[in-house]
Amino acid sequence: MFSASILLQILACAIYNNWWPMLSALMYVLVPMPCLFFGGGSTQFLMSRDGGGWIDAAKFLTGASAVGSIAIPIILKHAHMIETGAMLIELVSFFIFICTVLCFHQAGLDDDW
Amino acid sequence: MDLLELWAIFGPGVAGAVFGAGWWIWLDAVVCSLVTVPFLHYLPGIFASFAALMFNCVRKEDIDYSPYDEGEWRLKLWLFIAYVVSFVSLAGSAGLLIQDSLDKSAPSVWTGVAGVLQCVFVLISGLVYWTSHPE
Repeated sequence: MFSASILLQILACAIYNNWWPMLSALMYVLVPMPCLFFGGGSTQFLMSRDGGGWIDAAKFLTGASAVGSIAIPIILKHAHMIETGAMLIELVSFFIFICTVLCFHQAGLDDDW
Repeated sequence: MDLLELWAIFGPGVAGAVFGAGWWIWLDAVVCSLVTVPFLHYLPGIFASFAALMFNCVRKEDIDYSPYDEGEWRLKLWLFIAYVVSFVSLAGSAGLLIQDSLDKSAPSVWTGVAGVLQCVFVLISGLVYWTSHPE
């Protein structure tokens, strides 16, 4: 599923011969960083309330990165730098990425049990 | 689990989303503006973000609400300064909005409105983050 997400990312650039949507790929790199840095590689902290200050900061950064991933294609479309189709492909790519993260999260929970 | 517990779990994430939305509005207005936006117009958003960071650096357990003891006056002074910075950034963005609406060569009114919305969203994200921490 992650590969499908990246494939849609590349398609959004290649179909329209316009590489501005690659800016969204930067946000894809940013979204997992709070999990790796503060959550010990697991997404379990997202559903917990016991983490304390740094875990809350990681949640904050995750929320901001997610909104940034949605914001960048829409800003580029509003500025007429990409086509509507490319924006929609970007949003579908991000949606698949979120599904990947949720599956990873569910697998992690199953490991705990 | 009850609503307060849900708020404690998802509050920081919601705060991050609101923060991202605030900066989204501002970046969208700047990118689509026909007139170059001077750096002065960026300052209210930057100061609002700084203010939100300031009053979330405080641990709520350290705040003393006793009317008798002097308490941690440095903590309250810090919170007061954070409030002043947030107030000045909101007032500044509103002032720039009014100035933009009066001056024809300045950025459009939407840029001013986006600046005010950015400050409001950023400060709301700070409040959401603050309220999501239980005592």
